Amino acid sequence: MPFWKNLSVIRKIVQLLAFVFLVYGSVVVGFYSADKLSGAFPILSCAYDAKTADYCVLIPLQHQFGHRLGPALSAGMFSLSVMLPILTTLGTFFILFVLLNKAFCGWLCPLGFFQEVLGMIGQKLRLNRVESLDAKLVDRIRPVKWLMLGFLVLLLPLASGLGFVAPELGDPFCKICPSRILTSLAAGQLNQPYIDTSSAGYMALSIIADTMFGLILVLSLTMRQPFCRICPMLALHAVFKKVGLVKLSKKYTPRCDKCGLCSKACPMDIREIHTSKEKDILFPDCTLCGRCVEFCPDKDVMSLDYAMIPIFSSSPQYFKQRNLAQRIWEGKKVAPRKIKDA
Amino acid sequence: MKATALIGVTLAVALCSFTAEAAMHWAPAPVKHSGGHGGHDRNAAKPFMLVEGDGASLSLINPTLNATPLTAEQNRVAIKPTGMGNYHALVATHSTGELHESAIRYVYMSGKSSGESPSLLISHEKSALEVEPAPLAREHWRYYSATDAIFILRFRGKPLADAVVTLATDNGTTGEFRTDTGGRLIVPLPEDFSMIKPGRAGNKPSEFMVTASHSDGGQTYITTFSSAYSVNPKHWQSTELGLATVLGGMLIGGFIAFRTRQRKGK
Repeated sequence: MPFWKNLSVIRKIVQLLAFVFLVYGSVVVGFYSADKLSGAFPILSCAYDAKTADYCVLIPLQHQFGHRLGPALSAGMFSLSVMLPILTTLGTFFILFVLLNKAFCGWLCPLGFFQEVLGMIGQKLRLNRVESLDAKLVDRIRPVKWLMLGFLVLLLPLASGLGFVAPELGDPFCKICPSRILTSLAAGQLNQPYIDTSSAGYMALSIIADTMFGLILVLSLTMRQPFCRICPMLALHAVFKKVGLVKLSKKYTPRCDKCGLCSKACPMDIREIHTSKEKDILFPDCTLCGRCVEFCPDKDVMSLDYAMIPIFSSSPQYFKQRNLAQRIWEGKKVAPRKIKDA
Repeated sequence: MKATALIGVTLAVALCSFTAEAAMHWAPAPVKHSGGHGGHDRNAAKPFMLVEGDGASLSLINPTLNATPLTAEQNRVAIKPTGMGNYHALVATHSTGELHESAIRYVYMSGKSSGESPSLLISHEKSALEVEPAPLAREHWRYYSATDAIFILRFRGKPLADAVVTLATDNGTTGEFRTDTGGRLIVPLPEDFSMIKPGRAGNKPSEFMVTASHSDGGQTYITTFSSAYSVNPKHWQSTELGLATVLGGMLIGGFIAFRTRQRKGK
């Protein structure tokens, strides 16, 4: 299969370009905050990376809850002007999000790309990759992203601003975010993997951050995208997923019940895409990577749509070629006749 | 290179008794703290004082390069919010005969976005001789002790090569540095804080001042750039321990992967 026809390869190229641009893009856009693309980008692009092209939306959200909304509520001075920065941040996020929906995760996030690259290395090293996690484990993991969004991005910063919890918890998600460590290391800074001994709170947060980064480094070799499953950005995307222009659609047929290749291909182990009879199958955990469409063997049963127009649909011929390309990539034996047929 | 420069600064402290008359410069004016709830009022005026600047013309240049004249009372000015967010330049200029002095300080103000990059304000010629930060510290970045602060020295907008520039800090360090052929100046901010406490909140920032002088056509030009600098967080943030913890996380990850593989094998 030529690489320009392979959606996964196209996606990897886009991810690589996005990684380079977002991690080192200050060379193009400028160094200062005012130079950044939006200041509320819908992926984990970190402000601690001195060369970044844009800032993740979770940074201003935590700061605005912790430094503006909390103190204003505490002083009894709540007004529209207090809410305006939060609304501006969410509005900027919303405008961008409408354009690409959850594809920001699957196509542009530096941390997502990094985990996928590690996964590819794991495949090549034959590290016995767990292709699908146990369904019960997946169900147990799923609520974590909502807890991360609710507690670490919204409630704890607000509680810190109100004076109920320590100032350490003013931006707790940034303190534990693995993208902070990854992107700053990629930018040549060694100042982010640290243990902070200035207080018990900071020490606990820094231990969690570094341990989690180490876990991701190893688990990504054997498991598909471990951090994406608990990422609060995935939860924030899920809140707005109905308004995005990119959709994942399905035309259910009885053959779907017997197949299930789509859910096996899904890196987030969303088994519902296989069982669902709905047209809209953009589930909260989806990153719009498109692998389910690639591995659907039936014509036009699944598609990635942009503004209701199908831009990539499943087809038997693509499936045949893609499946073969996957087997070759995984080093499995393929009969020469099959290669010729494809 | 960095170590040599730091040794140079330390030697300068040891050998020099800094008694020379300080050039005109901006410094934060002392304020009375009312106490109470932590945090700060974004809309409160920011007070600064001009040291050695009697008779100087003062102005505040906003991010869109509009200059507002300021009047000092006993060499103090209180910068009120301009309604525009981001860096503003606090500029003082003074000429007496053949001596032309300037003092520049960048002040971050809260407000609506101007849509302009601070690069515009920084590259705007504010005085004939100017120490231009390249770049100015921004959010998530401060001037820290034991790190390099980089500047471009410009005269009439053009880089000034091989010029001697002095550094002085409120903690008592002084030093001399020289610009390269492109006018680039690397100033290693000294590790000169005493009584360091763990955590950023426990350590007040100090002040540093970079002074440059240049003579041209019988005229002498002196300029200063002043800013705050903070204790380097490395005093309470250990990278070595951090990397060891990452390694620990990797070991835990390896154990989890091994257990998963064993279960799958059964």
